[in-house]
Amino acid sequence: MKTTRLSILLASTVLLLSACASGPKTTTLLDQVHADYSQAQANPKIATYAAMEMKSATEAMAKADAAANGRESLETVDKLAYLTKQKIALATEVASRKSSEADIASAASVRDQVRLDQRTMEANQARMKAEDAERAAQAARNAAAVATQQKNVAQANESEAQRMAAEANARNQQLEVQLSELAAKKTERGLIITLGDVLFSVDQAKLNADGARMVQRLATVLQQNPKRAVLVEGFTDSTGTTSHNQELSERRAMAVRDALLDLGVARSQIAVRGYGESYPVAANDTAMNRQLNRRVEIVLSDERGVIAPR
Amino acid sequence: MKASKTWLMGTCVVAVFGLSACGSSLKAPATADVAVSQAAVENASSADGTEFAPEDMRKAREKLAAAKLALAAKDYKAASDYANQAQADAKLAQAKAGSAKAKAVSATLQEDIRVLRVELDRAATQ
Repeated sequence: MKTTRLSILLASTVLLLSACASGPKTTTLLDQVHADYSQAQANPKIATYAAMEMKSATEAMAKADAAANGRESLETVDKLAYLTKQKIALATEVASRKSSEADIASAASVRDQVRLDQRTMEANQARMKAEDAERAAQAARNAAAVATQQKNVAQANESEAQRMAAEANARNQQLEVQLSELAAKKTERGLIITLGDVLFSVDQAKLNADGARMVQRLATVLQQNPKRAVLVEGFTDSTGTTSHNQELSERRAMAVRDALLDLGVARSQIAVRGYGESYPVAANDTAMNRQLNRRVEIVLSDERGVIAPR
Repeated sequence: MKASKTWLMGTCVVAVFGLSACGSSLKAPATADVAVSQAAVENASSADGTEFAPEDMRKAREKLAAAKLALAAKDYKAASDYANQAQADAKLAQAKAGSAKAKAVSATLQEDIRVLRVELDRAATQ
């Protein structure tokens, strides 16, 4: 009887003692935690931001593994595995928080940069607007200057035109006076100045003092109106031979021409013809009439220098 | 026979004493562990752990309560175990709250930047 009680006590004690030292090699939870641990080890964010927490998790992992290798009870191993699991999760959360904080810090500077870009762009747009406005203003100023200049030129031209018109007017008026002094008559051929017989020496082709004065006046007109020309036509009365009269009429015309040339009139302005006793202006019956026929007619051209033929 | 019986009885008695002796040297550390995990749970709570990690906070509070009970029942090993687990749960809850808040702020900032960029593009093409 006593032996049996002792045996049971012994057996149960042995069982109790051996139960303490015959735990499993690993547990489901421990396997899971090993997987979590490997994942965390490979996570670069955890390495960067949660090294301290990971160190603590590593120590816990070692304790759990030691318990498993020492074949301690399932309960013990699982308790240590659970602590390790929570510590790994903690390291992961800390890494996430710090990573977000780093993003926040860099985001603040990115946001400031974007704001700066916006302000820079606004400033550029404003500046370009201002430049455009300035260019437009400058173009307007230029246009105004051109318009003013054109107005000035037009005014100057008008003044010049007025001056030239006035000058032309004055010249014309002067010419009228001169022509009236020369007793020029208007005919279909144009203006004709008649140098009568009294202006020549008798039966000669020499101009007397009065004749010279008339020619002087004519010379002045031709010099002042270089575009005009004269056709000097000589005539005689019927006295004497035709050839003598022809020659005399020519000589008289040439005398007028020579006088004009001596006074500086251009040769190109003077043409000469003798008509002898042709084209009388009066019947050669009285002395007075004959004197009338003995004449030199000077035809003044128009402003272009054209003389219509007889 | 008598000698072996006595020896066996003595071993058991020693064993029992040994266990209880181990037990009394665990009291101070167990008390400390419970205090530390109490603090951890309070910190996690004021860091909005309950809002962002309700499950972890629940487990932490349950284990803290169990730790206190074990401490009162002089089961010092159990008290330490529960306290350590409660601490781990509370710390995790607090960390989850922190990372969730930081993520939210970061997302808001990224959105701000996105909106600013859209505005910038729109103004640039005008």
